[in-house]
Amino acid sequence: MEKKPEVAEKATPLETLPEAAQILTVPALAPLVTYPLEVVVPEARQQTPAVGQRATRQDGRLHGLGQTKYIDDWYFPGMLFAKIKRAGVASARIKSIDTKEAEAMPGVVAVITGKDIPCNSFGPSLKDQPVLADTRVFHAGDGVAAVAAVTEQIAADALEKIKVEYEVLTPVLDPLESLKLETPGVHAPNANIYGHKVIKKGDVEKAFAESYQVFEGSYRTQMVEHVPLEPHATIAMWDPNGRVSIYSTLGRITLGRADVARTLGIPMSRIRMIATIVGGNFGGKNEITTEPALALLSKKTGRPVKCTFTRPEEFYASTTRHPLIMDYKTGVTKEGKILGRKIRLVLDGGAYCSWSETTLAKACILSTGPYNIENLYAEAFVVYTNKTMTGAMRGFGVPQVCFAHESHMDEIATALNIDPLDIRLLNAFEEGSLSPTSQKLQSVVVKESLLQAAQRFGWIANGNGKGNGAQS
Amino acid sequence: MKRRGRGIACMWYPIGFTVAANPSSAVVKVNEDGTATLLTGTVETGQGSLTILAQIAAQELGIATEDVHVVSADTDTTPMDTGAIASRTTYVTGNAVRLAAEKAKLILFDVAAPMLGVKPSQLEARDHKIFVKGYPQRNVHIGDVANHARLVTGEPPIGSASFNPHTVALDPETGQGKPFGTYVYATQIAEVDVDDETGEVEVLRIVASHDCGTAINPMLVEGQVEGGVSMGVGFALQEEILFNKDGIQINPNLTNYIMPTSLDMPEVEVDIVDNYDPTGPFGAKGVGEPTLVPTAAAILNAIHNAVGVRITSLPATAEKVYAAIKAKRAQSGKQLPGGASRPQLGGAPAPSPAD
Amino acid sequence: MVTVTINVNGEKRTASVPPETTLLRMLRDSLNLTGAKLGCDVGDCGACTVIVDGKPVNSCLMLAAQADGRDVLTIEGLATADRLHPIQKAFENYGSLQCGFCGPGVLMSAKALLDENPNPTVPEIRDALGGNLCRCTGYSKMIEAIQVAARAMRGEPAEKTA
Repeated sequence: MEKKPEVAEKATPLETLPEAAQILTVPALAPLVTYPLEVVVPEARQQTPAVGQRATRQDGRLHGLGQTKYIDDWYFPGMLFAKIKRAGVASARIKSIDTKEAEAMPGVVAVITGKDIPCNSFGPSLKDQPVLADTRVFHAGDGVAAVAAVTEQIAADALEKIKVEYEVLTPVLDPLESLKLETPGVHAPNANIYGHKVIKKGDVEKAFAESYQVFEGSYRTQMVEHVPLEPHATIAMWDPNGRVSIYSTLGRITLGRADVARTLGIPMSRIRMIATIVGGNFGGKNEITTEPALALLSKKTGRPVKCTFTRPEEFYASTTRHPLIMDYKTGVTKEGKILGRKIRLVLDGGAYCSWSETTLAKACILSTGPYNIENLYAEAFVVYTNKTMTGAMRGFGVPQVCFAHESHMDEIATALNIDPLDIRLLNAFEEGSLSPTSQKLQSVVVKESLLQAAQRFGWIANGNGKGNGAQS
Repeated sequence: MKRRGRGIACMWYPIGFTVAANPSSAVVKVNEDGTATLLTGTVETGQGSLTILAQIAAQELGIATEDVHVVSADTDTTPMDTGAIASRTTYVTGNAVRLAAEKAKLILFDVAAPMLGVKPSQLEARDHKIFVKGYPQRNVHIGDVANHARLVTGEPPIGSASFNPHTVALDPETGQGKPFGTYVYATQIAEVDVDDETGEVEVLRIVASHDCGTAINPMLVEGQVEGGVSMGVGFALQEEILFNKDGIQINPNLTNYIMPTSLDMPEVEVDIVDNYDPTGPFGAKGVGEPTLVPTAAAILNAIHNAVGVRITSLPATAEKVYAAIKAKRAQSGKQLPGGASRPQLGGAPAPSPAD
Repeated sequence: MVTVTINVNGEKRTASVPPETTLLRMLRDSLNLTGAKLGCDVGDCGACTVIVDGKPVNSCLMLAAQADGRDVLTIEGLATADRLHPIQKAFENYGSLQCGFCGPGVLMSAKALLDENPNPTVPEIRDALGGNLCRCTGYSKMIEAIQVAARAMRGEPAEKTA
């Protein structure tokens, strides 16, 4: 067999080291980074009682010195760099994947595809997401192959050499289209509606009939990204006892370990997951991404393997926030007291379930707003589309429904000539109020927050919802 | 011309997972000099949770934040934690930490009691000492007790505990039940200037009154509110992932995905609402996610107050706002049936900038 | 391969790198100065900000070869064995950094600002940080800390807190 041309390990040598020292792959001359070892501990950290102190953070000093080691800052001897080939097509059947040319590239040590993953599905609830797509692509960010090479550049170049043959299918992009029963299933034979929730109390139609006025409003929110400053990063390495250590930006290492155990078919006691201080999560790093693939690459090559997402991958290959379509109908008295509220929510659930069930539930439960409503009907659907998978993002659907219910409240206030502050005070929860799910609420301070904010702002109610903050 | 407006939005947000079990566990080890080490499986994602957990453990043991060293996020060495998600760390992990510290403390009380000639139930811990309740002159330094525990009694003060919020599953037909242990509440008020010739919205000021139960560390709470508001400003006015007709993202980069810079941020005034939740550690609840929930609503309500247009889809880009203003101007000229009054292009003109 | 010598944090350091290597990669991979971060690699986020010949630059946009023979200051060069830099101290005391990833970039932008303008106004501070994206903090506590550090560097007593 023809021998591949040799490629210098770590093509960027660490400084011009003397000949003998070049054998080592750790810097022989570690830079002398100076920082004071004795620094006065700030007052608040030394005070008792500890609760209530404006204590500085344990990691604050390291951050300020630039000494916090994030995963991308770590280098292990012999470490390889991995990159993932992304589908680039929103919906397709994979007919074939040819990795021979990539594998033959100088500097490429291993290539794996979905077929190499023992159990190729995972997910926080529905296990509908593959580690690497092997038969079907459901969104353009789906990974179809993973390459480990001696440098990041070679790994990225090798992706171009991987030939994937697709049978391109028509993607479903509009969640309202996806909601219709006649639209072909994104994950056929499964239905497009993969989550449904209803919360109801009292008799909302009767409440509408008894209302002074009934208002309707429709609201939409967009897909956004977490944009943590630190991209996803993972390092995997094995020890001779057959234990794999995985360093990851994952925010849930217990779940991560369980997922790696399941996808690779190995016992949990053989897996160690370590998270360093993460450079921002906001919900986007709450499920595994490349961890099983990297563990496999590391096993195949016998070396540590690191993968960091590029910034574009952060957008199209990691989870995003659910866009919501929200329809509200509210019946009120002449004074603005809510008698009944009916809500329909449609969540664009992206290509995979991810955290959609939680988002659906939270959005539905919180959708009525912090208001006493005896008659309500809130129904929420989440549907598949061939867009980037939507998952956990700071607020789980509540920033979206809050935008809806607060805009709606203001529209009612304007129409009835009531100050927006007053209409909220009239309807807000109090200590012991019942939530839409009839939970008795404790430590309720909605009104206090309204009044405090209004006072701090200098809000002067002038009765018709058109007050001008400048005239305080 | 710039028109000024203000908008108000209030919200509620739950702490922890929806019905499902989401336990956290913790181990507190008191060292022989009275300082302590805390083991937690949670992951520090930037919000400062490890500092908060140190403060909770310190409070329970009666020592200072600096005395507690936190070790986190290693499945080999730290006890399980459901993770830094759903604003649960202060409440769920915090409760586990407090319970673990309490267990270690009770071992210390067992050791200190004969040293002070009293029963363990007569003791309390604060200011680095263990005191007899009501008789502060009878005390012993926590380090002496811990050292005694190791050398004499042979009972290292280690406490291990877990916590899971109490929930009740939701009825599949009516959704009735108890999905969360507790909720937090907040109001944000935004003041904006809208340029009615370009649709550009400038957020001048946001007052955020947030409930987090007891504020374990007010400085970190402020940091969360300020950060959350910045995400809310982006959500309201700038951010959007765009797809082409083939389902490919058009702007997967930070050049074309606009998010707030230091130049886009308003003055944020943080107001912590005084509150105490008996089910949380020392009355604390949480604050990580709630901070961005009402921001977009407050800003959009302020836009309406300024120029009388109701934008019902986010983000409220300048194009969208300007198109709405133009449409409103066109309609204001028409006759209206039935005497319904339409608000005029409202809001007084903004005062001239002071500088 | 090109041989690049830079005077980084007061020390002459040399590395042999492929010609397309950016200053950021050379600092991180060749010199093990991992303070400057890779957030986007195309000059949008500012996490890679370092100071070259007194001016803040996105090191991901500068070729290592372009820095040959020049003075480079990175986050690792701010503190000394005796003390933290006043900006670092202020950031720590005011809780200005949360996840810390944007920190080195922000601190270098702040240092460059204060070196040029020892008494900046808030708009001037916002402007100086305009190229540094931060997702965690909303920038408020950074601006506060920079003002405090500026006062300390001018030798003025701290502002009354009450």
